[in-house]
Amino acid sequence: MSDIAIRIRESYLNRRRFLGASAAATGALALGRFARPAHAQDLPTVVNSIRSLSNPYHATWNAGGEAFAAWAGAEYVTLVTEGDSEKGVADIKAMIARTGGNMVLNVDPNDSADARPIVEACAEAGVYCVTQWNKPDDLHPWDHNPYYVSHISFSGVPAGKAMAEALFAKMGGSGGIVALGGILSNVPAIERKQGLDQALAENPNVELLDFQTANWDPNQALEITNTWLTRFGDDIKGIWAANDGMGLAALEALRAEGLAGKVPVCGIDGIQLAVEAVLAGEFSGTVAWDPFWQGSIGLSIGYHAKLGKFDPATEPPEHREFYGTGIIITADNAQEYYDNNILSSPQLDFEDIWGRVSGQIQYN
Amino acid sequence: MTAAADAVSPQGSAWERWRRRLGPWAPVLVLVLLSIAIGIANDRFFSFGNLSRIADAASIPLVLGLGITFIIIMGSIDLSIEGVLSFGAVVLSLLVLNGVNDNDFGLLGVVIVLAIGAGMGFVNGAIHVGLRIPSFMATLGMWFVGVGIGNAILGGIQVRVNDELIRALALERLFGFKYQVWVALLALAGAFVIERYTRFGRYIYAIGGGEDLADLSGIKVRRIRILAFTLAGAFYGLGGVMAVAQQGSAFALIGSDRLFTTVTAVVVGGTALMGGAGGVLNTLVGALIVVVLDNGMVLMGVSPYVQQIVLGVLIVVAVAMSVDRIRTRIVK
Repeated sequence: MSDIAIRIRESYLNRRRFLGASAAATGALALGRFARPAHAQDLPTVVNSIRSLSNPYHATWNAGGEAFAAWAGAEYVTLVTEGDSEKGVADIKAMIARTGGNMVLNVDPNDSADARPIVEACAEAGVYCVTQWNKPDDLHPWDHNPYYVSHISFSGVPAGKAMAEALFAKMGGSGGIVALGGILSNVPAIERKQGLDQALAENPNVELLDFQTANWDPNQALEITNTWLTRFGDDIKGIWAANDGMGLAALEALRAEGLAGKVPVCGIDGIQLAVEAVLAGEFSGTVAWDPFWQGSIGLSIGYHAKLGKFDPATEPPEHREFYGTGIIITADNAQEYYDNNILSSPQLDFEDIWGRVSGQIQYN
Repeated sequence: MTAAADAVSPQGSAWERWRRRLGPWAPVLVLVLLSIAIGIANDRFFSFGNLSRIADAASIPLVLGLGITFIIIMGSIDLSIEGVLSFGAVVLSLLVLNGVNDNDFGLLGVVIVLAIGAGMGFVNGAIHVGLRIPSFMATLGMWFVGVGIGNAILGGIQVRVNDELIRALALERLFGFKYQVWVALLALAGAFVIERYTRFGRYIYAIGGGEDLADLSGIKVRRIRILAFTLAGAFYGLGGVMAVAQQGSAFALIGSDRLFTTVTAVVVGGTALMGGAGGVLNTLVGALIVVVLDNGMVLMGVSPYVQQIVLGVLIVVAVAMSVDRIRTRIVK
């Protein structure tokens, strides 16, 4: 994985050095056009801008981008911010200059504030762009018609709720549970907890014995679970965790007491070890955000707008700012997900751009 | 100096004498009172099951604390705990039987990790002494380097560890306590011997009490300093092995929050940050106080918001108790 990261970074750095040598932007533009293969001459370059290639989440995102570019026959470029907002914005502007605006951008902005300068630069150059996860609440795609096509995010509420329901089902619908939350002030932590609360309200036979925050930290989750085993003992029939890392740690605490597989645990995020725990019958479920979809469909939306397949300005608001759909993984589909998404790359219909819209984004 | 203080305020001096006599036992007293209070609130606290869990929870902070105790006695600080632990854990997970590659080095993997820990500690010491960089900065650098390399190697994934020998530390028991508790006690015994019965141990106190004097009396201060950091690194490496055993997997952030817990344990146990006082037995008591407090708050159902406040207050109070205000003239 890191090999790929290095290779992409190197090729990108070489390109920048090359650009630097040819002083005039127009010159660079001309060279860029020559460098491209003939059949892709008029196709826009498809560009993913992400944080890093050294985490599995964004590496999978990038694989999605590559797959989409191969499908479209377009040139593909990955820009990496390495957590540096200024680099992120500057690299995107450099790419716009290099392609003369003939590109499509799918960006996971390093920080909410970065989305505005990125979108403005794109709108000015006529580049169709899609943002994901981070943007200021008062920046909307329809402010920059038609170039700012969509913003995609994911709500933690349905994920938290679905996991709670899967957990309750595995417990037989009644009994006491304990819950591990993320950082108190974190939006995903708050949303996932809301989902849990909704599920609890609908299932009066399930009692929340205690809720503790482990701050997304497996170490804290392990210690808290250990103490719960003293405090509640056999009354614990299930453990709800706001992410996989904490859930896996809780599972290890159970294992040390010989309870792994007997007391179900759930997580969220869909990391490999969690899916394996579902397969082993120790996790009741997890939710995958499917970064492969984010990296490919994010490009596909902008690409289809660029090719004039639809007009963003006339699309309904729920296509402009929407929650994607997390994939709920339980014992029923874990093997299928494992084979298709973890052992190999998933097959997606890249023309089905609105297939996973699950509602317009709500602001508090 | 004490005579002068006596002359100014005889009452204060009586209090000081009491405090000096009681001082070393204050952490033990705190631990006992805390345990009794929690035991009254929840009778499950004193159950054997819970005491065994407290021992489990204290074993990693204790091992890490043993290492940093030597550094703090010298009046220095070591912030590299999380870096060394994480890097050690990541390397270990890839050397022993795991879910990513075909390695199966077993015990040799553990030895390699201890050596890596010692090596990182040696680099800490060498940079600190050789380049005359404050220990604070040198070890801060090692913290980030360690976690950074761990991150670069794993790229954010979590590696499952299947080595039965290592997992046994956290899953198998001897006389009702997990193996890791016994390992921590062995480490404590080793550290105690080093502290009390070796020249190195005595020199550390001499350096912490007054480095100039120690230097003048012929102690090779630089060499002792490097040795202390090396030793501390080996303890952090052991902490890494135990953390992997507990989590059943390794990830780059496996060390997170360990520094805070460890330094709290050492200071609460009565080892002064100014150097020259305290010891590994204090660290044992300190680690137990921190763990008992955590355990007690969850047992009593204290809200997570309040828990952080309690821990913060505890640190300030502990430091306030351990500071010798007569000897300390300047506070920076």
